[in-house]
Amino acid sequence: MADHTPHEASTGPDGEPLVVETDEDRRRVERRSGQTLPAVCFATSVVAALALAVVYAEGGQNQAEGVLLAVALGGIGVGLVVWAKRFMPEGPDTEPRGRIGSTAEDRAAFVADLETGAHTFGRRHLLTKMLVGAVAALGVAALFPIRSLGPRPGRGLKSTPYRDGVRLVTEDGDPVRPDDPGVGGVITAFPEGHVGDETAQTLLIRLEPGQLEPEPGREDWTVDGVVAYSKVCTHAGCPVGLYQEQRGELLCPCHQSTFDVLHGATPVFGPATRPLPQLPLGTDADGNLIATGDFSGPVGPGFWDINT
Amino acid sequence: MSRRHRPDRGSRVGRTARWFDDRLGVARTGRTLLDKIFPNHWSFLLGEIALYSFVVLLATGVYLTFFFDASAAPVTYDGSYAPLQGVQVSAAYNSVLDLSFDVRAGLMMRQVHHWAALLFLAAIVMHICRVFFTGAFRRPREINWVVGCTLLVLALGNGFAGYSLLDDQLSGTGIRIADSVILSIPVAGTWISSLLFGGPFPGTEIIPRLFIIHVLLLPVAIIALLGVHLGILVRHKHTHFRGDGATEDNVVGERVWPTYAAKAGGVFFLTAALLCLLGGLFQINPVWLFGPFEPENVSSASQPDWYIGWLEGSLRLMPPWELSLGDYLIPNPFFPGVLLPGVTFLLLYAWPWIEAHFTKDHEPHHVLDRPRDRPVRTALGVATLTFYVILFAAGATDVLAVTFGVSVNRIVWTFRTLALVAPVAAALVARKVCLELQRRDGPPEPLPDEAEPVADEPAAVPS
Amino acid sequence: MSAPTRRRPAVSAAASVAVLTVLGLALWQPAQAQSPDPTAATSTTAAPTGPDDLVAIGRQLFDTGCVSCHGEGGVGTADGPTLVGVGEAAADFMLRTGRMPLAEPQGQSPSKPPAYTDQEIQALVAYVGSLGPGPAIPQVDVAAGDLVEGGELFRANCAACHGAAAVGGALSYGDYAPSLHSVAEVQIAEAVRVGPGQMPVFDEDVFTDDELNSLVAYVRYLQDPADPGGFSLGRVGPVAEGYVIWVVGASAVVVFIRWITRRRADG
Repeated sequence: MADHTPHEASTGPDGEPLVVETDEDRRRVERRSGQTLPAVCFATSVVAALALAVVYAEGGQNQAEGVLLAVALGGIGVGLVVWAKRFMPEGPDTEPRGRIGSTAEDRAAFVADLETGAHTFGRRHLLTKMLVGAVAALGVAALFPIRSLGPRPGRGLKSTPYRDGVRLVTEDGDPVRPDDPGVGGVITAFPEGHVGDETAQTLLIRLEPGQLEPEPGREDWTVDGVVAYSKVCTHAGCPVGLYQEQRGELLCPCHQSTFDVLHGATPVFGPATRPLPQLPLGTDADGNLIATGDFSGPVGPGFWDINT
Repeated sequence: MSRRHRPDRGSRVGRTARWFDDRLGVARTGRTLLDKIFPNHWSFLLGEIALYSFVVLLATGVYLTFFFDASAAPVTYDGSYAPLQGVQVSAAYNSVLDLSFDVRAGLMMRQVHHWAALLFLAAIVMHICRVFFTGAFRRPREINWVVGCTLLVLALGNGFAGYSLLDDQLSGTGIRIADSVILSIPVAGTWISSLLFGGPFPGTEIIPRLFIIHVLLLPVAIIALLGVHLGILVRHKHTHFRGDGATEDNVVGERVWPTYAAKAGGVFFLTAALLCLLGGLFQINPVWLFGPFEPENVSSASQPDWYIGWLEGSLRLMPPWELSLGDYLIPNPFFPGVLLPGVTFLLLYAWPWIEAHFTKDHEPHHVLDRPRDRPVRTALGVATLTFYVILFAAGATDVLAVTFGVSVNRIVWTFRTLALVAPVAAALVARKVCLELQRRDGPPEPLPDEAEPVADEPAAVPS
Repeated sequence: MSAPTRRRPAVSAAASVAVLTVLGLALWQPAQAQSPDPTAATSTTAAPTGPDDLVAIGRQLFDTGCVSCHGEGGVGTADGPTLVGVGEAAADFMLRTGRMPLAEPQGQSPSKPPAYTDQEIQALVAYVGSLGPGPAIPQVDVAAGDLVEGGELFRANCAACHGAAAVGGALSYGDYAPSLHSVAEVQIAEAVRVGPGQMPVFDEDVFTDDELNSLVAYVRYLQDPADPGGFSLGRVGPVAEGYVIWVVGASAVVVFIRWITRRRADG
């Protein structure tokens, strides 16, 4: 087939030019039957659009809206495509690609102009340097407002509101007694006055007596078998909410880091590298659980200067 | 087109065209555009699917902004979803519930918007695969490859921003993980996190900030780069496959006007129809079930949308290693969460130059390769795809474990192994298949005798 | 309490693929079998025999069906834990969800149709209850529950393992938090109070009986939530949505663009 040539065209009764390229086309145009399908598609689209208006007026319904809108859009789509496939020239036509780069003369002239201008700038050596310096200084100055977006990273990454004597409370703000979680039970607690604090969320787990093998120096950090760990995963900060009671392991649902509650919440599986920090527990005069200090280390995911 | 017109004044179309040309002088350019040739191959429409998904995103997204309240301010939900009535939630989450239950057509717009985002990214990935495996990134199209890669990055970012706006439990968990990845960046991590969140996570600033990023900054950038992408496409003219007389000096296909315009219009309407069908029939992101974000709550099966799934997977498969430098620490999430995507996109951006460096082929190419004729490139591409598909699958280890009744620990170890072994195996298989296909079908048919590369006259094309 | 066990099955990768495939087929019919009659557990008052007779019948059943693992008098053996003090709630939960008797002694016991009749279960429960004091079968009144409160409790305490939509979730080493979609009301409450398997215990100090009613009411809601958006896709979250966009969406796209670009000349 050659380059696109004016195709033989006749005009139908409705004035539309009909494409006739082959004998098959000729027969088809003579039959004039090909119009039915696209016409039905467009008509369906109209009906669906009207039905959509009715559905909306009647209060709307998600499935009806979606399907009707799909039919209305799809009717136009299929109609257009069928129309194009049946009645429009389909080529193959060709066009020359042409060259992308400019002619040698144009390019040379452009480069020459560019260099002339650059030379004009370059002759005033001092001015050029000062201009660059001024723009750079302005750029640096313009960066400073970014500082307003947030404060200097604070102690929040390394400490929590827990201090010696701070009571632990539930999400409802009620104080917790050591026997509140049944044996094998677990409660999420916060320092009093900081319910919902992201970094201070604490898991209280009641173990059977003697189950826990405390880390050296933490022998008196538990009360009646209740041990407290940070609930924030040391990998990516998700709440380590899945306590597997029989195994005594905490599982993080985000990346499957697993921590051994019976051995200082050290990581035993998954990407986490550091144990969940432990909170030293005691009781106040009323028998409620209190912290006797802050967590054993920075809670949550690691960062550059976590150890400083 | 008009039925009866006086010959002296021309058709209505003609009169309109004349009116504009008198004032703008665009007839010549206009004719070039109308006569522009688009090659007729299905894979050339993948990019258009992405484009039209984006159009649907804009249309539905604008509607959603009329109702969405980008604020973390606490409000008491009092809409028509009974299980949450009286619960204190953020204004953002509240407005999403209202959109879903009390704004007529609101849920459909939300769902179509979300499905359109998923298809947008899927179409971009398919498009980039087509460009890669057929060598369409080669000279002179390197710049457009870079623009396209940037569009992918922007689309990923905007998808994540949109997903994170709703302030439900799942989106809050996603932001929390993103913050951990940011915190892992050496030296600057804590600063970037603090500046982004306006203090420690979660704070009250992140939602309004993500909103502006999601509805203004990134969409404007995407629209601008789409303009550049398409402008360069028109300037270069389309690549094409062998056959039908295709050469390096011509473009073979269909004219824009009327055939290609009608078909492209059809593609748009069918894409929109598909998205409406998905939005109407398949429930997506039912945030009312997930509940409002509370930092101490979490749900099992916390996953991101599919296009972030590979990062979720890499975080899951990473062994428990991190790097201590004296007093300082490069935490674990840095390697799968920052280093891996950094290297990924660096290699992706640089690929046209990397390949040209090794093939020593610096010539312009307009006729596309069959993937089988470039076994090394194809094998590398298949290996890379395999690697990321495994990471994607690994992003759902817990769902797979429950679904197939297998230990999640064993699945993690299986994927860790597969991530290292399978890409190599896939590459070897792909290369073998390429060579086999080459041998079966013979070498690619030679290009027709190329005419002089002249700009003005159409090249004569033998059948 | 048994020592923590780490099962590391040494099945080859090929075998696991086969298992994956087979078990995958079971996915789409999650836990059909675990729904006994929801009213069954509350019908103990209608038992035809007196409490002492029940205990005697229960002991007989125990000595034939349970003693090999749980030992004489339910004191436990190497193969099964002691039942002294586990309470009626634990026995009722295990028997009515079919988790006991065990099909195989390894791994987590799945729920299945109960092996005993309602009367036999009542007898066994009475016998286990007689072994020592423990949690009684909770009285559940869903109508008295507060759906909103139940939702908040569920998201705070249960969603972590069972998922926000109660479809179940993975635990470590092959264990799982089961789907709650066909668990009867009383068994939900029993599980909360007893903490079967890996599940922690939530006693009256954590959830009051009123709160337990609310919690059960919310789980009942989750068993058949309104899905205004359409097909629920299993309510497992974005993973299913991702597969849909590729399997349905991308395939549909490829089909219609191939149709659009097929020319008349191609036939």
